[in-house]
Amino acid sequence: MDFQIALILGQDGITNGAIYALLALALVLVFAVTRVIFIPQGEFVAYGALTLAMIGNGVFPATAWLLLGAGVAVAALDGLGALRAGQARKLPSVFAVNIGYPLAVLALLRLLPLTELGLAVQILLTMLVVVPLGPMMYRIVFQPIAEATVLVLLIVSVASHVAMVGLGLLFFGAEGYRTPPLSDASFEVGPLTVSGQTIWVIAASVVLIVALALFFGRTIYGKALRATAINRNGARLMGIPPALAGKLTFLLAALIGVLSGVLISPITTIYYDSGFLIGLKGFVAAIIGGLASYPLAAFGAVLVGLLESFSSFWASAYKEVLVFTLIIPVLVWRSLTSHHVEEEE
Amino acid sequence: MKPALSPRLVMAAFVALLAVAPLVLSAFYVTLLNYIGLYAMVALGLVLLTGVGGLTSFGQAAFVGLGAYTTALLTTSAELPGWLAWAGGSPWLALLVGLVLTVVVAFLIGKLTLRLSGHYLPLATIAWGLSLYFLFGTMGFLGGHTGLTGIPPISLFGYELRQGEEVYYLVWLFVLAGVLTTSNLLDSREGRAIRALKGGMVMAEAMGVDTARSRMVIFILAALLACASGWLYAHMQRFVNPTPFGLHIGIEYLFMAVVGGAAHVWGALVGAGVITVLKQWLQDLLPKLFGTSGNFEVIFFGVLMVLVLHKARGGLWPILVSGFKRFIPVAAQRRAVDRDALALPRRELPAAGSLLLEAKAVTRRFGGLLANNNMSLEVRAGEILALIGPNGAGKSTMFNQVSGVDTPTSGEVRFLGESVVGKGSRAIARMGMSRTFQHVRLLPTMSVLENVAIGAHMRGTSGVLSAAWRMDRAEEARLLAEAARQIERVGLGEHMFDEAGSLALGQQRILEIARALASDPCLLLLDEPAAGLRYKEKEALGDLLRKLRGEGMGVLLVEHDMDFVMGLVDRVVVMEFGEKIAEGLPEDVQRDPAVLAAYLGGED
Amino acid sequence: MKLKKTLFVALGLAFAAGAAHAQLKVGITVSATGPAASLGIPERNTVELMPKEIAGQKVTYVVLDDASDTTSAVKNIRKLVSEDKVDVVLGSTTSPNSLGMIDVAAESQTPMIAWAASSRIVEPVDEKRRWVFKTPQNDSHMSTAIVSHMTSNNVKNVAFIGFADAYGEGWYEQFKSVAEARGIKIVANERFTRTDTSVTGQVLKMMAAKPDAMFIAGSGTPAALPQKTLKERGWSGKVYQTHGVANNDFLRVCGADCEGTLLPAGPVLVAEQLPDNNPVKASAMTYIKAYEAAHGKGSVSTFGAHAWDSGVMLQAAVPAALKKAQPGTAEFRAALRDALENMKEVPGAHGVFTMGPNDHLGLDQRARVMVQIQKGAWKLVQ
Repeated sequence: MDFQIALILGQDGITNGAIYALLALALVLVFAVTRVIFIPQGEFVAYGALTLAMIGNGVFPATAWLLLGAGVAVAALDGLGALRAGQARKLPSVFAVNIGYPLAVLALLRLLPLTELGLAVQILLTMLVVVPLGPMMYRIVFQPIAEATVLVLLIVSVASHVAMVGLGLLFFGAEGYRTPPLSDASFEVGPLTVSGQTIWVIAASVVLIVALALFFGRTIYGKALRATAINRNGARLMGIPPALAGKLTFLLAALIGVLSGVLISPITTIYYDSGFLIGLKGFVAAIIGGLASYPLAAFGAVLVGLLESFSSFWASAYKEVLVFTLIIPVLVWRSLTSHHVEEEE
Repeated sequence: MKPALSPRLVMAAFVALLAVAPLVLSAFYVTLLNYIGLYAMVALGLVLLTGVGGLTSFGQAAFVGLGAYTTALLTTSAELPGWLAWAGGSPWLALLVGLVLTVVVAFLIGKLTLRLSGHYLPLATIAWGLSLYFLFGTMGFLGGHTGLTGIPPISLFGYELRQGEEVYYLVWLFVLAGVLTTSNLLDSREGRAIRALKGGMVMAEAMGVDTARSRMVIFILAALLACASGWLYAHMQRFVNPTPFGLHIGIEYLFMAVVGGAAHVWGALVGAGVITVLKQWLQDLLPKLFGTSGNFEVIFFGVLMVLVLHKARGGLWPILVSGFKRFIPVAAQRRAVDRDALALPRRELPAAGSLLLEAKAVTRRFGGLLANNNMSLEVRAGEILALIGPNGAGKSTMFNQVSGVDTPTSGEVRFLGESVVGKGSRAIARMGMSRTFQHVRLLPTMSVLENVAIGAHMRGTSGVLSAAWRMDRAEEARLLAEAARQIERVGLGEHMFDEAGSLALGQQRILEIARALASDPCLLLLDEPAAGLRYKEKEALGDLLRKLRGEGMGVLLVEHDMDFVMGLVDRVVVMEFGEKIAEGLPEDVQRDPAVLAAYLGGED
Repeated sequence: MKLKKTLFVALGLAFAAGAAHAQLKVGITVSATGPAASLGIPERNTVELMPKEIAGQKVTYVVLDDASDTTSAVKNIRKLVSEDKVDVVLGSTTSPNSLGMIDVAAESQTPMIAWAASSRIVEPVDEKRRWVFKTPQNDSHMSTAIVSHMTSNNVKNVAFIGFADAYGEGWYEQFKSVAEARGIKIVANERFTRTDTSVTGQVLKMMAAKPDAMFIAGSGTPAALPQKTLKERGWSGKVYQTHGVANNDFLRVCGADCEGTLLPAGPVLVAEQLPDNNPVKASAMTYIKAYEAAHGKGSVSTFGAHAWDSGVMLQAAVPAALKKAQPGTAEFRAALRDALENMKEVPGAHGVFTMGPNDHLGLDQRARVMVQIQKGAWKLVQ
C-alpha cells in the first residue's frame, strides 16, 4: 500500500464515518431522552433516500400512504384519549393535524409536476412525507410503553424495524436507487479528488454534531430534555411533558435519518434494507460514545468508517470479521475507562 | 371452589400431551413442533442469560452455528486429521466434541467480554456473533456460503431417525432436559446467586457471591443449549450454510425469549411456539386476504409483536398462567422448610472484648472532595458502636471503606488483625463481616426465604452440576433451614414465603438483617436499620441487637434515630464534614458541645 | 388450540382426499423477501403467468415465501409435501436454499425443479438427486462464454470481485477453474456485500493488480457499485458482469458508467435481436410478451424466465406422466420424474432442454449468448 492509496482509503472512511456519525447522533439523542435503542433509525435513511428517488422519477411515493395511515392511527389514539378525558372539543384539532396534514401532503404530491421541481424542492417534499413518521411512530409504538424496561423497548424497536423493512420492500421493490448529487463540483487536493457531495456530507455532520452538543450541553431546554431520561417526573415538574419530549426527539431523529439518506444516496446505491447495516455501524459508534457523549460517538463513527475502508482493502472477504473483532478491544477500553458501579436499572 | 391441582400433575399432563402429539398431529405440525423445540432450547438459554441474569445477548445464533458446523464437518468429512479421526462419522461423538468446543469458545469469549459493563456487553455480543457468522461463510472447509450437504441422520441403537416424527421425541427429550436442568439450577444456592445478577450485584458480592463466576456459568450454559440445538438442527436439516446463524436470527431468538416471558423458564417454550406458529399462520392466511402479489407477512408480524408487547410487557407466560389458573386452579408451589435439617456449622466467635475492626486514619477523596478525613474507629467483640452525624457527614462513605465496597485513598482498615484495604467485599464477607444497606438491596420478586438464603451462600459448597441434577438437596435443606431460623429470629416468620418486594420498607430493613445474620458473621455492619420502623418494631430490633451482643457479636451501627441509639449502644463515634468530632459513651457524647453544635446547626 | 389443530388437520385430510384426483398441485418456495428478493420477486410474478391447465388437468399453485433463509425453505418444502401433498416442487431462488431442500424432495419422492444456479444441486445425479432438476444455466456454462470472449480479445489477467455469498462464491470457483484451464490469470480476488455503501478499498486493490479486464460477479443493482467506483477511479478498460445483472433496474442505476459492459446471459435477454431461425427466439418471446403484458414494458428479467422454464418443463412432462397415473399419488410423482428425465428438445425462454439420466439440467450452448451494454440497452454480441 502506498501513501496515495492510504489517503484515498482515509477519505473514503471519513465520508462513510460522517454518515455513521449522523446516525450515531440520532441514536444517542433518542436513547438519552427515551431509553429506546432506535433500531429503525436506518429505515429512515432508506425511506428518505428512496422517497426522494421516487419523487425524482416522477412516481408518487408510497410512503405518503404510510403517512396517512400513521396519521389516522394517531388521530384514533389521541381522539379516544381526548374522549375518555372528556375533552371532546379537542377532537377537531386532533383530526386536523393528524389527518389533515397527510391529506395536504398527498394533494401536493398529486398536483405538483414532480420531475420538473428543483432538487431542493424535491428534498423538501421528501422531508414533509418522511420526517413526521418519526413522531407518529413515537406516539403509536413507544408512548404507550414509555415506562417499560430497556429490554422491552429494544424488542419493540426491533419489531417496528421488521415491519418497516417489510413495508419498504412493498413500497420500493428489491432493487436499489441513486439520486442526483447536491453538488457536481469536485476539487483536486494533492493526489485526492474530493467531490462536492463528500464535502456536503462531512460539513453536515460536523454542523449537526456541534449544534447538538451545544443544544444539550448549554441550553436550558436541552438540559431539560436530557433530564427526562433520568427522571420523567422531574422533567414534568420542569414543565416538559415526557410524551412531548419523546415526539420531539423522534422528530429530530427522523430528520437526521432522512438527511443522511439524501446525503448518501448520490454516493452509493440505497436499497429498501440498506438501513440496517448502516444503522448498526452508527449504533457501534453510539455505544463507543457510551450512548451519552456526542463527540465520542462521532469519533467512534469515524473509527468504524476507517476500519471498514482499510479492512476492505486488506482482506475484503473478512471485512466484517475484522471490523467487528477490532471493535471489541475498543469496547473493553471504553468499559474500563468509563467506571461506574454496576447497579440496578 | 374447585380443588387445586398439584403442579406436578399439570407437568405430567403437559408431558403426556407432548408424547401423544405426533400420533394425532399431521406430519407438518410435527415438523413445526420440532423447530419449536430447537428454537425453545436457544430461547431457554436466553431466559437464563438475559431474563434472569440481565445479560442481553444477540449472538446466540453463532453458538447454534458452532454446534451445527462441528457436527456437519465431523460427520461428512472424508478425511479428518489424525488427531480428530476418532470423532468422525458418529453424530453422538460430534455432539460431544461440539459441546466441549462450545465450552472452550464460550469461556474465551466470556473472559474477554463478560467484564464489559452496561451497553458495551450487548454490542460485544453483536460483534462476536457477526464475526463467527462471517467466519462460517469464509472458511473454505466449512463449505463457504453455499454450505455443506449430505449430513447423515442421527441414529439411535442402530435405528436412523429420518422422519419428523422420529426426531420429534429426541428433540423434546433435549428440550425437557434443558427445562428441567435450568429450573433445578435456578432453585438452588447457585441459582439464587444467578438471580441476584440482575440488579443485585453489589449485594451479592457483599454476601460472598462470586458474580463474575455466576455470569460465566450462565453464559456457558446458554451457549451449550444453543450448541445442542444446532446439533439437532444440522441432523434434522441435513444441510448447513451460514444464513441460519446470522445476526437477524440471533435477534429473533431474543425476540422469542422476550415475547414468551424472559423471566420464566417456560416463557422460552411459549415464545418459540407462538412466534413459529404465528409466522406459519400468517403465511397461510395473508395470501388468502391479499393475494400472492405482495409480501405482507413480515409487516403483520412486526405490527403484531408491537401490539403483544404493548399488552404484555412481561411476555405471554405470566398472562397464560393467570388465565389458566382462573379456569383450573393450580396449587402454588411452596418450598417446605425441613426443620430437622442438620444445622450448618458455625464460626467460632472471637472472645468478647477482643478487637474485631480497626480503622486508622482513613482518608477518602473524590476528586477535590474530601469525603473522609483521618477517620479512626474500632469495634470489639460483644459491643455495639454507633457512627452518627448529620446528613452528608460522610458516614456512608466510611461504611463503604470498612466493608470493602470502596477503597480508601490512604489509611488502614484491619479486620481480625488482617488488613482488608483493596480486598473487595466478597473476601471480607468470607472473613466474617456482614452488612445491610442504607438503600435496601433485595430481590423484590424472590421470596423472603430465598432472599435470606442468599446470605447463607458462602456456607454452602454445592456447585452448578449438582444443583442442575438435584444432588444438592441435603445441603439446600440445611441452607433453607438456616435462613428460616434467621427470619423467625428477626420476627418475620409470618412473611417467610411472601415476595420480598411486598413487605413494608421497615420490614425490608429487618429482612436485610436476617440475610446478614444468615452468613454467620462475627461483625455486623448495619446502615440505618431503624429507619421506617414503628415503635414496637424498634424495640424488638433493640432486643435482637442486645441479644446478639450478648452472644459475643460486634455491631457497627450507622443511625439517625438518637433515641434508638442512645438506649442501646455501648460507644458512639460522631462525624461531621468527613471528620470525627467526638467519641465516647452515649451520655458523654450527648453533652459534647461540638456535637450539639453540629446537630443543632447542621441538621435541618 | 389442540382441538383446533386436530380439526384443522382432519379438514385438511378430507379436502386433500376429495381433491386428489381433480388437479395437479404444484408447490413453490421462492425468496420473495430477504437478500435474494430482487431475484425472487420476478420469479413469483412469473408464477402467476404459468399454465393454469395442462393436458386437461387443472393446475393449482401453492406459493410460499422463504425470505432467502434456508431453514424456512426446508420448512416450506416439508409443508408442501406433507400438508399440501403437492405433485412437484419448484424453487427455491438461491443455491443454499435449493441444496437444503434436496433431502426432503428425495425422502418424500417428490420431483423438484430448482431455480438456482449451483451445479451441486443436480450433480452428480445420485440416489437423492434423482428427484432434482434445475432450469438456470450452470455458472460453468456462463463462465466458458466469458472466458472464450476474453481469450479472443487478448485478456490475460483478470481482477475478480464478487458478492460475499453463495452467488459470488459459486462464480469464483467456476470462473477460476475455466479461466485457469485457458491460461487466464486471476490477479485479484475481492468480495463485497449487497448493502455495502463503499467498495473503494476493493477497487483500489483490483486496480493496483493492473489487470487487462475487471470481472464483477453480483446480481441486480448492487453489482453497479463496483463498476461505478471503477469509473470514478479512472478505469477505462473492459468490464465483465454476470447474467445476474440482466434487468432494466441495473441499467437505470448504473447509467452511462456501464457503457460497454460485457456479460453472458440467457437468450431471453436479447430475444428480439436473435435471428429468426434461433430455436429459443419464439419461446423466449412468448415469455417476454406474457410478462410485459402483466407488469409493463421493460419489466422483464432473466430470473423470472428461470421460473417460466420450469412451467415449460411441466407442460412438456405432465402429459406423459398422466398416462401412467393420477396426480396426488406416489406413482404420478415417480412418472413425472421419469417424464422430466426423458424430456427431449423442449424450447424454453433460456434454451433448449434435453435431459438424461446423468443430466438434470439439459441445457447446451444454445442457452447462452454474450451481450454488451450499448447506449443503455442490451445488445447481442455476434
